[in-house]
Amino acid sequence: MPERAATCAGCGCGCDDIEVAVAAGALERMTGTCVIGDAWFAERAADAPLVARVDGREVDFAEAVEASAAILGKARLPLVCGLGQTDCESQRAAVALAEAIGAVIDPAGPVVDGAVAAASQAIGLSTATFGELRDRAELVVSWRADPVVSNPRLLPRLRLDRAGRAAERTLVVVDARRTATADEADEFIELQPELDFEALWAMRALVRGVPLDRDLAAQLPLEPLRELTERFRVCRYGAVLPGPGLVATGDGYVNALALLALVRDLARTAHVVALPLRQEGNARGAEDVLAWQTGYPAAVSFARGHPRARPGEFSAAGMLERGETDAALIVGFDALAHLPPRAADNLRRIPTIVVDPRPTQTAAAARVAFATSASGVQREGTAHRMDGVPVPLRAPLASERVGDEDVLAAIKARIAREEGT
Amino acid sequence: MLRIAQGRVYDPANGIDGEVRDVCLDGGKVVEELPSHGPRIDARGMVVMPGGVDIHSHIAGPAVNAARKLAPEEHRADVLDRTAITRSGTGGTVPSTFATGYRYALLGYTTVVDAATPPLAARHTLAELRDTPIVDAAFLVLMGNNLPMFKLIRDGGSDGAGSVTEAVAWWLEATGGYGVKLVNPGGVEMWKHGNRNVTSLDDEVEGLGVTPRRVLEAIAGSVDELGLPHPVHVHCNNLGVAGNWRTTLDTLDALQGRRAHLAHLQFHAYGGTPGKRPRSRAPELAEHLDAHPEHSADVGQVMFGPATTMTADAPVSALLRELTGGKWVNADLEAETGCGIVPFAYRERNYVHALQWAIGLELFLLGRDPWRVVLSTDHPNGGSFLSYPRLIRLLMDREFRNEQIGRVNQKAIRRTVLRDDLEREYTLGEIAIITRAGPARLLGLADKGHLGVGADADVTVYGEHEDREQMFATPRYVIKGGRVIVEDGELREAPAGELLRVAADHDEAIERTLRPLFEEHYSVQLANYPVREPWLLEPARRVPARPDGSGR
Repeated sequence: MPERAATCAGCGCGCDDIEVAVAAGALERMTGTCVIGDAWFAERAADAPLVARVDGREVDFAEAVEASAAILGKARLPLVCGLGQTDCESQRAAVALAEAIGAVIDPAGPVVDGAVAAASQAIGLSTATFGELRDRAELVVSWRADPVVSNPRLLPRLRLDRAGRAAERTLVVVDARRTATADEADEFIELQPELDFEALWAMRALVRGVPLDRDLAAQLPLEPLRELTERFRVCRYGAVLPGPGLVATGDGYVNALALLALVRDLARTAHVVALPLRQEGNARGAEDVLAWQTGYPAAVSFARGHPRARPGEFSAAGMLERGETDAALIVGFDALAHLPPRAADNLRRIPTIVVDPRPTQTAAAARVAFATSASGVQREGTAHRMDGVPVPLRAPLASERVGDEDVLAAIKARIAREEGT
Repeated sequence: MLRIAQGRVYDPANGIDGEVRDVCLDGGKVVEELPSHGPRIDARGMVVMPGGVDIHSHIAGPAVNAARKLAPEEHRADVLDRTAITRSGTGGTVPSTFATGYRYALLGYTTVVDAATPPLAARHTLAELRDTPIVDAAFLVLMGNNLPMFKLIRDGGSDGAGSVTEAVAWWLEATGGYGVKLVNPGGVEMWKHGNRNVTSLDDEVEGLGVTPRRVLEAIAGSVDELGLPHPVHVHCNNLGVAGNWRTTLDTLDALQGRRAHLAHLQFHAYGGTPGKRPRSRAPELAEHLDAHPEHSADVGQVMFGPATTMTADAPVSALLRELTGGKWVNADLEAETGCGIVPFAYRERNYVHALQWAIGLELFLLGRDPWRVVLSTDHPNGGSFLSYPRLIRLLMDREFRNEQIGRVNQKAIRRTVLRDDLEREYTLGEIAIITRAGPARLLGLADKGHLGVGADADVTVYGEHEDREQMFATPRYVIKGGRVIVEDGELREAPAGELLRVAADHDEAIERTLRPLFEEHYSVQLANYPVREPWLLEPARRVPARPDGSGR
């Protein structure tokens, strides 16, 4: 049974040391995957002859492209979203298509996933790749992140799990409750929800020697935070791993700003970085491709013929919630299962085109659904890990299907033919 | 097939200096002659030069892209609409990829070198270059703070000993790179050891058994041994620090007798003492360069107005952060490099900024050999590439220059020789040298930067204009690979450019040496590190290394 190399894009870790055994064209066994990875490969490994459906009816590729072009061509303000689970090559094709039809495009994965990245646009970011965190970081704080659950191989890869962690390195967890990650840590600091901003601002005040508001300080676990701040100040290399919980309560954007501002303050005395955790396998790639093609990492409108970015206004969830879009093209994202209820309801009311290797709920409800080969399973491509490092996606399995990139390019070509350009 | 008829031709590589003649193009190349009745451009009264070649710019890759994300305000203010032949985009000091390609082409540039790619991120740079139309592009691979390389240098002696040379060639092949870049060798690694740096060539990189000098000597030796078309491209230690001219001279001394190109020399030409006000040491550096034909530099001119500083020299960015108090990015890249980004603005009234501006001009005006002191703004560090026309006017138009000198901080000007006897005005022939012929020669691109038979059919035609800024800002025609890309200042088509990459042989056995070093330092598999994806690497042109030195 041949062992083939693979890269898992089941989360933002982009583990490129996976081996899969293939028998009779199917995945027989995988080595190196975590539970998320197992599910990720399994969901994408099925390869049925089905290529596309229009209104529930099985059709050939050309007819589905035709129907997609018709929907998008008629739309006043189409939305292109998803993107975080496909490869950079397809993301590139998605931006090109969005531009051609004057759409709004937004990588709409888990809503909280991009908040730290958005905040970093305002003040910047001190960050590092996995190898640096693994080999240099002596103090690591997981801030409302639970990587043991969300990115199971992250701690072992950074040698931060209990078994792999050297004695001189410290892992601290700040969260509202004892998580699985807290069980791996040297120290757990309990911080109530809704108090992230206050805690981070207090730490900034401690770094800068500014007196604290006494009432505010009384709500915080002040002593542990003071100790933590002091440890950062004297460490050689410190790191913060902000997780989705940071932006889930209060004003998430402001919380993210506070965290990045704290890291910036700390970086004046010690070498301190932050690595925002990402859930989707290529969420970082979606931001990167959008940024290089348009200048903006998210929430871009091409309605006026050039890119304009308005986080909030042009975010996929926001546009759907407000019922502002009249057609949607969704790439590799089970939108109905993950969007806020109101946005999902509105999505059901408009014609949708779904490009996805998986038979999702969103694909089942779509006017046009393309069943594609999966990047990383049946198709090669590139993904950017959460730390920005590009890794190649392999194709351990063969497939008859076309890739997301091909579908997007074909729809664009069909629309261009219509326009006669 | 195209004849550019009766223009005034400046082709310094072939000794042609303003002669009225025809340039014939066919099959993407310059040819001797064409039938007289074919398509032609009437270039009477116009100036004809080879397409521009930028030897040092930052246009693609993770650092550039991180800078784009920082600049929504700039992008909002400067947009490009989609047209029938072009993609949309945004501009500012760090334009989107499509905008970068179009704007370089509209400026008459047809070849651009990205000066700093971390090898681990080569796929990212290549993907961006694929979306940077028209221009042929190459990139230089960062090797000056590479931990596996440090180990090989420490174990192998200081003179490009075997394994270092093999590793340099391996890294170029693995990434699709063109040449080798050293940025603050040793210093960026020290930045990751608790925000420190090196301050001289002989500081030890803590715990690693190498010094900047050993890194410089070993890598420069390897580059020479391989016969790479472009010499080692060095961003010296102590960038921006008062008194750093001594480090720059030390570096040149260490590299004496070996080919070397110094990046953005202006940022390394400061007298004075660290922490105090700098002064100019441009005359001393210009003199040294004159005396050493094996050495060259691009100037890294500062232009007043907005800029974005982006550098692998992360400790420098931390200093700039303290100056601006504004946005700051730091990105540590495992085993290879760092990265720092700070949006910046150069102001006429600021002593240091005015001094930097003046030192750049001194380097241009004092250098006796324009083939070895070529034009750059270290885009976007000293200013956007869009400011090249203004810089050309500063060099060509003494009256304009003196008027500008009168506007800026006079204390700074008094620390330079600009007021003394620098009456020099660049000729069109000299401009052709510092913007195309010189960079092409320093890069070892035999088919670029000239209009001799067999050269690439990359040609720029300018309307004669007394205002040289206007003349160079809006070429009448730009021809790339024989196709008319720009006509009357408008894009007519926007084909893809080629990747220019080096072809240098290496012994496959080096992977056995590298494997344990990879496993120690990287978080990706060695098997996944070399770029093999054809869609990222093609179309490409391989420029061969010449180990016997026959290319030089």
